[in-house]
This record gives sequence, structure tokens and C-alpha cells, in this order.
Amino acid sequence: MTVPIPPAGQPVPSGLDRAVEESLLDDAPVVGRRGNTVRTLKRLGRKPGFVLALVLIVFVVLTAFVPSWFTGFDPTATSPKDRLLSPSLTHPFGTDDLGRDLWTRMLHGSALTIKATLIALSIAIVAGLTLGVVSGFFGGLVDVVLMRFVDVLLAVPSLLFALAIVTALGFGTVPVAIAVGVGIVPGFARTTRAEVLRVKTLPYVEAARAGGASWLRVLVRHVLPNSWGPVLVLAVLDTGVAIIAIASLSFLGFGAAPPAAEWGTLISNGRNFLITAPWVSLLPGLFVGAVVLSLNHLSKTLQELGR
Amino acid sequence: MFTTSSVPRRRGVAALAIALATTLGLSACSSGSSAGSDDLGKPQAGGTLKVAFWPDNAAFSCVDPFQTYWIEHRTVIRNLADSLTDQDPETGEITPWLAKSWAIAPDGKAYTFHLRDGVTFSDGTPVDAAAIKGNVDGWLETVKATNGAAFGSSYILGLKSATVVDPLTVELDFSTPNSSFLQATSTTNLAIVAPDAFTRTPEQRCLGEYVASGAFTLDSYKPNELLTISRRPGYTWGSALSKNTKEAYLDKVEFSYVAEDSVRTGNLVSGAVDIAWPRNPFTVEDRALIEASDATVESRSLPGVSQSLFPNVTDGRPLSDLDVRQAFVKALDLKSYATTIYGDDYPVVGGAFDETTTYYVSQADKLAHDKAGAEKLLDAAGWTLGKGGYRYKDGEKLTLKNLIQVSTPGDELIQDQLKQVGIDLVLDVVPAAERPAAITNGDYDLVGTYFTRADPGALQFILDPDLANSKALAVNSSSPETLAEIKDLFATAARTTDDAVSKTAYADLQALLVDQGVTIPVVERLQYAGVSNKVGGFAFTSESFLKLNDVWKKQ
Amino acid sequence: MSRYILGRAAQAVVVLWAAYTLTFVVLYLLPSDPVALQLGAAGIETDKLSPVQLQAAMAKYGLDRPVLEQYLSSLWGALHGDLGTSIAKQRPVTALLGERIGSTVALGAVAGVLMLVGGTVLAYLASYVRWRPARILLTRLPSVGASFPQFFIGLLLIQLFAFTLGWLPATGSDGFSSLILPALTISLLTSSLLAQVLMRSFDDTLSQAYIVTARAKGLSRAAVQWKHAFRNAALPAMTILGVIVGLTVTSAIVVETVFARNGVGKLAQESVVAQDVPVVLAIVALAAAVFVVVNLVVDLLYPLLDPRIVHVPKVSR
Repeated sequence: MTVPIPPAGQPVPSGLDRAVEESLLDDAPVVGRRGNTVRTLKRLGRKPGFVLALVLIVFVVLTAFVPSWFTGFDPTATSPKDRLLSPSLTHPFGTDDLGRDLWTRMLHGSALTIKATLIALSIAIVAGLTLGVVSGFFGGLVDVVLMRFVDVLLAVPSLLFALAIVTALGFGTVPVAIAVGVGIVPGFARTTRAEVLRVKTLPYVEAARAGGASWLRVLVRHVLPNSWGPVLVLAVLDTGVAIIAIASLSFLGFGAAPPAAEWGTLISNGRNFLITAPWVSLLPGLFVGAVVLSLNHLSKTLQELGR
Repeated sequence: MFTTSSVPRRRGVAALAIALATTLGLSACSSGSSAGSDDLGKPQAGGTLKVAFWPDNAAFSCVDPFQTYWIEHRTVIRNLADSLTDQDPETGEITPWLAKSWAIAPDGKAYTFHLRDGVTFSDGTPVDAAAIKGNVDGWLETVKATNGAAFGSSYILGLKSATVVDPLTVELDFSTPNSSFLQATSTTNLAIVAPDAFTRTPEQRCLGEYVASGAFTLDSYKPNELLTISRRPGYTWGSALSKNTKEAYLDKVEFSYVAEDSVRTGNLVSGAVDIAWPRNPFTVEDRALIEASDATVESRSLPGVSQSLFPNVTDGRPLSDLDVRQAFVKALDLKSYATTIYGDDYPVVGGAFDETTTYYVSQADKLAHDKAGAEKLLDAAGWTLGKGGYRYKDGEKLTLKNLIQVSTPGDELIQDQLKQVGIDLVLDVVPAAERPAAITNGDYDLVGTYFTRADPGALQFILDPDLANSKALAVNSSSPETLAEIKDLFATAARTTDDAVSKTAYADLQALLVDQGVTIPVVERLQYAGVSNKVGGFAFTSESFLKLNDVWKKQ
Repeated sequence: MSRYILGRAAQAVVVLWAAYTLTFVVLYLLPSDPVALQLGAAGIETDKLSPVQLQAAMAKYGLDRPVLEQYLSSLWGALHGDLGTSIAKQRPVTALLGERIGSTVALGAVAGVLMLVGGTVLAYLASYVRWRPARILLTRLPSVGASFPQFFIGLLLIQLFAFTLGWLPATGSDGFSSLILPALTISLLTSSLLAQVLMRSFDDTLSQAYIVTARAKGLSRAAVQWKHAFRNAALPAMTILGVIVGLTVTSAIVVETVFARNGVGKLAQESVVAQDVPVVLAIVALAAAVFVVVNLVVDLLYPLLDPRIVHVPKVSR
């Protein structure tokens, strides 16, 4: 058997964007166990950066589900006379080249972006988790075959592989989300597998096995609940990665059908007005940056918590 | 091919597709054109002119005159290869060039050209009657080899053969009359190349393996990267429509391909290029930026079919009802489209053709915005307002599917205009390569296209199923009775040698197209050029391409 | 040892083959009619063709054969350096790649240098600075670099350095100066990756016993950091070389579009738009090959540079 297990302390050479994450993750942190929840929350509450990031993310999720709470405009209603107005109280983000309120379009864009991100993440989590758990739990030939497959996925830069998938599936939010999701499967598979391997050797798991518990029971009762910490951290981080990847694919023209606009489309639609009406591109760009940065910060804090 | 690729294939980048337009009239009022050239002084020889195009054709890299439909490359070809005749962009008159005179047989089936003496291709071989015959034979072969997909096929309908009468006289014979052929000889697509080029494959010619007699010669063509041309020494046979009929002033011209509109404009403003040549009209903001930098904005309407939508009137689709088509037209606010997307001074489209097209007759009064009228027609047709402000009939929503390649602000504006009267316009983004299949399977209601050519006959290549590149689009866009009328009018115009007959036929045609909702004009297509204040002698050809004979650069 | 090398090389070949096959499968599972699609890319519209012409056109592109046969012949060709013919551009894919690869390699090389300088300086400073706020700021900086879409950063750099300040050209393929802005755009992302890995290694190394000893012997902190910590930190950084190369390739897709550079990334984007399947397949295979080779080289060099690593444990288990 030649399953390459990365030596401890050596970052895993892995696919796109993934090394950052894994270099953050190799300490195999586990987010606070049950009893500590209250204490943990109190500790987090004292971190202003964390609170700020969390508030932004909660806000974005809210806007995705009920954008009408935060704006009175219609995202697709054009108004030629209000073309390219700069930010004001009425239009916090200004208006675009058809006179549409950009703040409203941003909020309605959240829904699409989050939908795409959720699809991508579900694919990554379901496939990655399955691959990782099966691989780590059963070991042996299964492990070899599955991890080889993950190696293959890792060998193809993810955005390029996403392009191949888009070539095959056509344009639109769902194909783009699938393409991005497939690209982040390997990271989940590897992280989950490492966790499962770690948890499998813990004394109480071995005890449970020795006590006659079935494989499935051990898996569901002991291995999974104890492996989810790093996976959660990775999921939060990958949400940011997915948002950027989806934005890039929208920029390249493979995104949602108009007039709906994902964040990436909004940023790229404004780029012809960078000098004359910079807010059309800059404000959505900064907004996306803030969201991704918040996600990075959240995942980092969660991870530190586990140490 | 042109029908499918005509909507600019932008990738994501960017954006606005849709080209623009203006009129002969407007070309005179091109903003600030007087500012530059007058202060420049006398033309100077020398220098390299840098022109920034938008991206090369990703699907068909081609600089062969007869085959390419790509507007930018037809511009390049205008300066590499001469044509038998030239066309005055102001008057539309056909004037001598390689042919110093010509005669057309009374039955319209034979054209005799008397060639100018002393003209040579850049390999030294003469431009004589045999060379013209070589081109004619080559064209006919190329039509066969490409299944008629070569763009030039549209110019030589009915052309049968060529005969050398004497070394400087050649006769071209037709099986059926083709009244627009004389104008066709002035176009870049029928520009003359040294006939041994036709011993090469169409693909090789596309990549520049030919020589011609133009004021410049091709140095290199790297698709989508750089195309370089150099002055041809000893050139003395420029068309009299240029001020300078001798050697060009410029040593070299470099054409680069820049995908981002903002970057192309920025390159001009920052002095990195001398001419920015966009496919989509400049935005108002970009024009202001260019003028603020002391460069000038030139513009001329591209002749040919305006940017239009073609309906699918197949039974069972909403647009099979003439009332719904007319309501659609009334719901469109074309003036608001032009001013919002391209600026207050931008011309409003006046029919199936752009204003610079020969025999153009404005149908503007029939295209006026009339929201109440649209609503009335829709009510009468049984489409009544319902949930979400959209119209329904028998429980079915009035949804129209428009196949687009890239979303543009203009598309989204139209979408919103239609929503005002309760029509749900769906913009379905279909990649260029899938578009033909999508049109063929017929699951669409509207599809946009355009066609750049100075003669109204251009429209046959969209609407006549026997000639069109997309047969399905042609069949779907009008009822069989209307199609018969259209074909009849085209045939009348083509068969006659009497200009007045052509004129009447084309006027009737333009009225018919709008009355029957066969074409739904959206916007005039304007060719803009941002020109540095160091550049003098800028001029558009009758095809609204760039002519470099008079262009010079202050050193 | 040589058995290890052979084994590792064989493994690389298998991964490469599997990547090629996987991509082929993805591309040929097209939901729409692959024949109409590819002929469409070639500018031929199927509804204009008679059945005989259609048959001939399909034969020309090998579309009339069963998929398995197409796969085998494509793989056989790829093994012999023949990557097929671009349907849209009507030219051999190898010729297209040959023309364009130089531009991308040059871009990648400059981006690599900028990344090394930027990433190292940032990581070095973050470990060296003691003032807490500054230190936190420096450690958080890399994630800022990775939080904005690259096309957005590229456009901002163009507006600032090319159009507002006029220091550098925005586009063009001539000379070094036109490489700086696109390379900078790529390196903002890659150097943030490098900096994070280096920062961690610095911290690990600086807490080790021999560093403490060196400090005790009176070496200044800067000197210790430079002489000892840096050398050791560089080793783990090497292992992400493959990732960085992969990242550079994908960045090139977006960056070459923004900066109008005619490289392989742009070719990839064009080919997806034109649905030019052979070119997309070739580019994916090429990128996978580069990734696999870089990782192979790193794996083989690693033990030479760090004698503490022994192979046996790595391949056992």
C-alpha cells in the first residue's frame, strides 16, 4: 500500500486556494465541546472583529431571504433620468447606467450569490465528506483508490476545471455553482479523512469498537460528531473562496441570466465607468471584499478557538 | 455565419454588445472633429499608427477579403487591397478605382470593366483582366468550398463566369441580373488579390497568405494579438475619393485587440494608442473622457441592417399574432434606448436599415413609443393583465424568449420597457456555438442580429431561406405569404437596371417589414472612433471602415 | 531510493492520465448535441447542410466515430504530442499553445519573482515586528489580498498606475513594463498564500531550541531570523510550489483577459466561449501536467534539502 500521508507539520500540496486553508487547519482544531458553549460564546462576544464579521454575514444572509426589509426599490426597474447618480441617502450605493438602485441590486444579488454558494458548498460537503469518511474509515484499498481520485482532482487547477464543466453544462447560475463546488471537493475530502483517521484512534472510539458497537454506530455516534470542527472551519473559509470563484466566472460571462445579477456581475458591469462613476464598480467590489474577509476572519477565529 | 456571430460575441467581459449607428448627416457632426486636424498643419510622412480594436473573432480568425465578415478585419483589408470601384461616402456614388470605367448590359446580365493600366500587386504581377478573372474564379470556388458560408457569397448572387476581352478589359457574366453588383465591386469583400492566392486553401488565405495592390502590405497577422501593415512603396493608384492617391504617409500601422472597453478607451486617453476603434459605441462617459483628453470622437452610421430583433411567428408562439408584434413595437421606447445607452445626441433607429444604407426610407412614425396603444392591442388580442403586472391568456403568461449571447444594458432596458405593458421578456444567454442549434430547434420568440453592407439586399441573407445562413431564422421570421411578398420585392429590385424601380421596391419593402413586424428595429449602429490629436486626415469609407490613405501622424 | 523515484514518477503519470480522462469525460458529456456544437464552433450550421454534407463535416472532425474510439485516438495523439486541431481556429492545438505559452510563462515568471519578494518581506516583517497592533495588521494582510476578485484588482491597478499616474502601460505585449501590472495582480494573490505559509513556519522555527540557543549566544533577533529561521521556513514553502503554479495558471485566465494579453489563459477563455473542446481539453491537460511535474520535482528534491525527511515513512502505511 502506498498511501502518501503528508508528514506532520508539512502543508499538503493541494489544489487551488486550498493551501491557505490547510496551512491554517493542520493543527486539527476541534471547536469547543458541549459543556463549554456558554463560555465560548462569552469569549467570542468580547472579540469586536468577530462580532463585526458575524453581524455582516448574518445581515447578508438576511438580505438574501428578505431583501425587501432593507430597500423599497425594485431591482430591475430602470429609470433613464436617474442614470449614474452618485451615492446619496435615497440611493446608498448610487445608481447604475440604467438608473437602477445599486443598493437594491446588491441586496437582491445576495440571494443569487448565496444560492450559488450554497449549491457549491453542498456539493463539496456531501461529496467531500463522503469521500473523506469512507476513505478514512475503511482504509485499505478503498482509501487508496479514493485518495488517488482526489489527487487527480487536485492536479487540475480548479478554475480551469470549472471552465471545462461550464463548457459541458452551459452558462448560468447552477452550472457555475456545480463547477465551483466540484473544484472544492478535494479539500473537504482530505480534511475529513485526516479528522476521521485522528478520531478513529482515540481511546474511546477504540473502546466502543472493542465493546462490540457496529461500524455504522461508531461512525455515526463517535467519529462524525468529533470530526466536524475542522470541516466547519473549512466550510466557512470555502464560502469565501466560492464567492470569489463565482464572481470570476460571472465576470468571464458564464453567470446568471439577466436582469438578475450576482455580485460578480454587478462589479463587472460597472467597470466601464471606473473613472466617471467609480461607485458602480467600487462599492459592490468593496462589499464583496468585506464579506469574504469576514468569512476568513470567522473561520480563523473558530479555528483558534479549537486550539 | 454572420447572422449568428453578428451580435458581438463578448465574453463576460463586458458588456454591451449592440452596435451603434448614425447617419450620413451625423458623421458631419462627429464631436469635436474640427478641434484636432485643423491645428495640426500639413501632413507629415513617417511614423507608426497604433489602433486598438476590440477582440478578434474567436471562432473564425480571418483576414481574407472574400471570406471575413468581421468588421475590424474588413477595415484592415480596405488598406491592403483595392477594389474595382469605390463608393463616395457622402453621395453613395460609385467611382473609378482599379476600373477606370465600366458598362452594364441592358439586361443587367453582363458587366464590362475597363482596367487602369500600370497597377501591380505587391509581388510585382500586374492587375490585369486575367487577374480579375482569376479572382472571379476563386470567388466561385470559395463559395463551393465553404458551402456558401463565405461572406462574399452574398455579393455575387447570379455571377456565372468572367471572360478576358483584352488585357485590360474583363466581362463578368450573370445567370440572373444582380442590380447591386456594381456597388458590391466597391466593397472590401470583393477587393482584388493576386490570383495565385486561390491556389491556397481558404484557411491559409484567412491567415493572410495573399498579396494585393493596396497602399499597405500585410507584415504579420497574429490572431487576437497584433496585426501589422506597412506602406507599399511606389503606390500611385489610390481612389480619387482620397486626397492622397499616392504612397501613404504612415510607415506602419499596428492593430491590437483589446477586450476591455474601458482599457481601450484608457489606452487612447493615456496616449498608448492613436485610435480606439470600438465595436460597441462608446458610452457617453467614454466620449466625455476622450474629448477631455483633447482627442476627438468620430462617428458614422454603419450601412446595412440595423440592430434588430427578428420574431418567431411559427403557429402557437405569441408573436404569430400580428397584433402582439405591433404591440411589442409600440411598447419599445427607441428614443429612450438611444439616449440612455449611448447619449442624447445618438440617432434613433428609423427602420430595418441604418441611415447610411442606399435607398433608406425612414419608418420612424410607425416606430414611435405608444404605451397606451400597445396595451389596447394586447387587450384586444386577449392578453389581459394579471398576477405580477404581466399579461395572461387562458392561464398562460405572455412570456417571450430572446436569445442573446451576452447581456447588454440595452437588453435589460428593453426588458423593463416591455414589463411596463405586461410582457415578460426572458433574456436567454446562449453561447455563440450553441446559437445555431437553439435557433434551429425553434424554442425562441426573438433573436437579434445585424449585417453590415451598404446595399439593402443585405437583408436577404437574413430573411430569405434560400440564401440565409440560418435557414430556421429566415423561415420563422415571417409568414409564408409575407415571405413571398418580401422575396418578390427583392427580386424586382435586383432584376431591374432602372434605379427608380429599385428605389420604389426597396421603399415598399421597408414599409412592409415594419408593418408586418418582420423586423423589429432596436438601435442604429454607429461606428465610433476615438482619434488622438496627433492624428490628421482621418476618414471613413462608405462602409464606415477606416481608410488610411490620408492619415498621418504628427511626429 | 531509486525505487522510490520510479514509484513516484509512475504515480505522477497515472494521475496525469486520469486527469486527462476525467476532463475528456466531462467535456464529452455535453448535454447538447456535440456534433451541432462543434460544427457550430467551426462556423458550419447544421441546418444548412444536406445529410451527405453533414456526414462529411462530421468525418472531418472525427465526430462520426464512437466516443470511446474518439477518446483512444485523442489519448494516443496526446501521447505523441498531437493534441488535435482547434475546431474554431482550424489550426493544430500544439501550434496555438506554442504561440501563446511564451507570454504566459513570462507573466508567470515575473509574478513569481514579485510573489517571492512580497511574500517573504511580509512574512519576515510580521515575525520581526513586536508591536502588537502592527503585528496583527501584518498577519491579517494576506487574507485581504485574497478577498477581492482578481479582475477587480486588475482593473483598479490599471486605472491607478496606467491611466491616472501614467507610470506603466495597461496593455500590450512588448517589453518588461507591460508585464508588471498583470504580474502584480497575480502576485497579490500568490504572495498572500506564500506569506501565510512562511509566517507559520517562522513562528514554529523561532520557538525551537536551537534558535533559543542562538539568541542566547548573543545573535541579534534580525540575524537569527535571517540565518536560521528563514532557511528552515523556506522548505515547507517549497511544498506549495505546485499550488502556486496552479494558481498562477488560473489567474492568467482572468488577468490575461483584463490586460489584453494573448496567453494560454486567454486561449482557455476564448475556447470555452467558442466551445472549442479540443483546445479546452489540451489546456486542462497541460495545466495538470505542469502541476504534476512541479510536485514531482519538489517531492524528489525535498529530501536532498532537508535530510530530516526520510522516505520510508512517507510511502508506508
